[in-house]
Amino acid sequence: MKKIFAYSASATVVGLALGMSGAALAAEGGPLLFGLQFPITGDYAVEGQGVKNGLDLLIEQKNAEGGLLGREIKLIVCDDEGKASRATICARQLVNDSVIGVVGSYTSGASLAAGPTYSRANVIHSSDGTSDELTAKGWKNFFRNDPPNSAEAAFTGDYLVNTKGYKNIAIITDHSSYATDLADSVEKSIKTHNGHIASKEFINAGTQDYTAVLTKIKSVNPDVVYFSGYYTDGGLIKAQMDQLKMAADFVGGDTNQSEAFIQIAGASAPGSVVINVPPPESLPYENAARFLADYKEKYGSKPPSIYTLTNVDGLNSIFAAIEATQSTDFSAIEQWLHNMPAEFEGLTGKMKWDENGERAGSLMAAMEVQPDGSFKIVHQ
Amino acid sequence: MDIVLQQTINGLTIGGIYALIALGYTMVYGVLKLINFAHGDLCILGAYIGLTTIMAGVFSRLDQILLLGVAFLMAIIVVAIAGILLDQLAYKPLRRVHRLSAVVSALGASMLIENGIMLIWGPNVRVFPSGLLPNVSWEIGGASITLVQVMILIGASLLMALLYIFVHHTRLGTAIRASAIDQDAARLMGINVNRVIALVFIIGPALGAIGGLFIGLYYRQTFFTMGWSYGLFAFIAAIIGGIGNIPGAMLGGLLLGLVNAFGAGFISSAWQDAITFALLIIILLVRPSGLLGERIAEKV
Repeated sequence: MKKIFAYSASATVVGLALGMSGAALAAEGGPLLFGLQFPITGDYAVEGQGVKNGLDLLIEQKNAEGGLLGREIKLIVCDDEGKASRATICARQLVNDSVIGVVGSYTSGASLAAGPTYSRANVIHSSDGTSDELTAKGWKNFFRNDPPNSAEAAFTGDYLVNTKGYKNIAIITDHSSYATDLADSVEKSIKTHNGHIASKEFINAGTQDYTAVLTKIKSVNPDVVYFSGYYTDGGLIKAQMDQLKMAADFVGGDTNQSEAFIQIAGASAPGSVVINVPPPESLPYENAARFLADYKEKYGSKPPSIYTLTNVDGLNSIFAAIEATQSTDFSAIEQWLHNMPAEFEGLTGKMKWDENGERAGSLMAAMEVQPDGSFKIVHQ
Repeated sequence: MDIVLQQTINGLTIGGIYALIALGYTMVYGVLKLINFAHGDLCILGAYIGLTTIMAGVFSRLDQILLLGVAFLMAIIVVAIAGILLDQLAYKPLRRVHRLSAVVSALGASMLIENGIMLIWGPNVRVFPSGLLPNVSWEIGGASITLVQVMILIGASLLMALLYIFVHHTRLGTAIRASAIDQDAARLMGINVNRVIALVFIIGPALGAIGGLFIGLYYRQTFFTMGWSYGLFAFIAAIIGGIGNIPGAMLGGLLLGLVNAFGAGFISSAWQDAITFALLIIILLVRPSGLLGERIAEKV
């Protein structure tokens, strides 16, 4: 008994000593830690891997220039599989790892689940989740890196009713936080423009067979089907619309603007219209073109969608804040981001945030899929 | 009327696929009294093998139909082998112990296969190349039916008919039925029950592999977690029809597909799954042994 006590006591002392020296080392100038909470596997893995690649590239370039405040930047990745349950686990983990800022997640559901943890721990939280709820929580640490659903909904309603003059609009949504929020906002927007909604239906994301719902919608003779859910289902819906010989046009919400949508819809893709911020290739900014070229060189392919770039902008804006304030203190960074002296020049345009973390200014566009697989802007 | 017809076509197509997968569950249960939870994943493995065969450069010079035929063949062979291995490694050692151990083993095998697929083929959705089958469709009474759907409907019906004839009109089939009724008595009659079990683990997964590849061709994509969802629905179909009963599995599958389509089409798309599961509960309350299930006498 005495021996065990002696051993455990000495082990504790050694452990404490190591721990304290470790802490001392970190305080002196270890790497600066940032987190990525994204779906690296699961339904939205394509987007997750794109963002991870983009952030890795950004950090590599930044480290090559000498890092941040003379310290190396390191990214800790946690796979949340796009699910709220895993998102909370990831949030715990990243907060325990003492990250300064986190980029995540792709889905609003996962962002909403992880948000409270980051907010309580004073970790800067940048997300491309577009649900309006995210900026309604009063989180001081939250900065959205793309336009919210409400901006997109306003543009969509106007586009569908006024620009295209559709008379019979059918809306399809799934049960996720992002899609239902977007569908509700679009519905309201259509009504304010006095448009007519012929039907609003639900699908279960990921179940692949939507012919039953589409057949039901076909019977009300819509001239357009608006889908507010994710690209994995959007592609299938478009393909099945053609399979059922529906005459309606397809207009999709922002997440449908991706290479994967075109792949999944296959031969049915051309002619689909998607509403989102313009794709990476059509961005008129020089830094965007350079980053895209670097991305292509390192990974051999284009980024899967604009969200790769918006999230890179999100992390880069945190870097800018740290450099401007010469500090990694949460309040300093948060204050700078909220009260920026000049707009931050991101890859996706000038970025500025209001006190709720909403990104100001939106550059929405309606894009049509071309036979060669590219997105062409048809209305801005 | 044309909506009803269209929903019927949609429902029967997916129902045929459920039926093919449900047959695997029901055959294994009939002989071993074990729910093979890994069956759904084996079926999706068939889809992946088929996709890999199609994408392999070796066969790309073949004419489309021949290529599809080879893809189906490869899927059947690989999944049948996987089925045998599954039995030998996960179930056979547990034949004499408590039934719960085999169930846990089945769940473990299911996770193993699912994650194995993810590690080998990646976590992304894999898309089938378009243009594999000509994009032809026909109009019947206001509803449209595509070539793929016709292929699935005919293929599933043919296979189900063949299986029925095999099980009821051949000696091997009779041996399977005998083993399902009473293994020990079958042994006493001179039937090599181990061979019968191996046969069941070939036929069940083989049919499932065809079902899986049908899924891949119909939706033109496959994803590693699909095994769980299709497996679950096919399992429900098998139970609705009466687990252990082969025509029951066929009926259950078709019924489930139709209920899915009609429920979503005429009642509510938001409650689609709820309606399907509600049907299961009602059927089990009214007829606990399933629609065609037999009331097995309890031994006293």
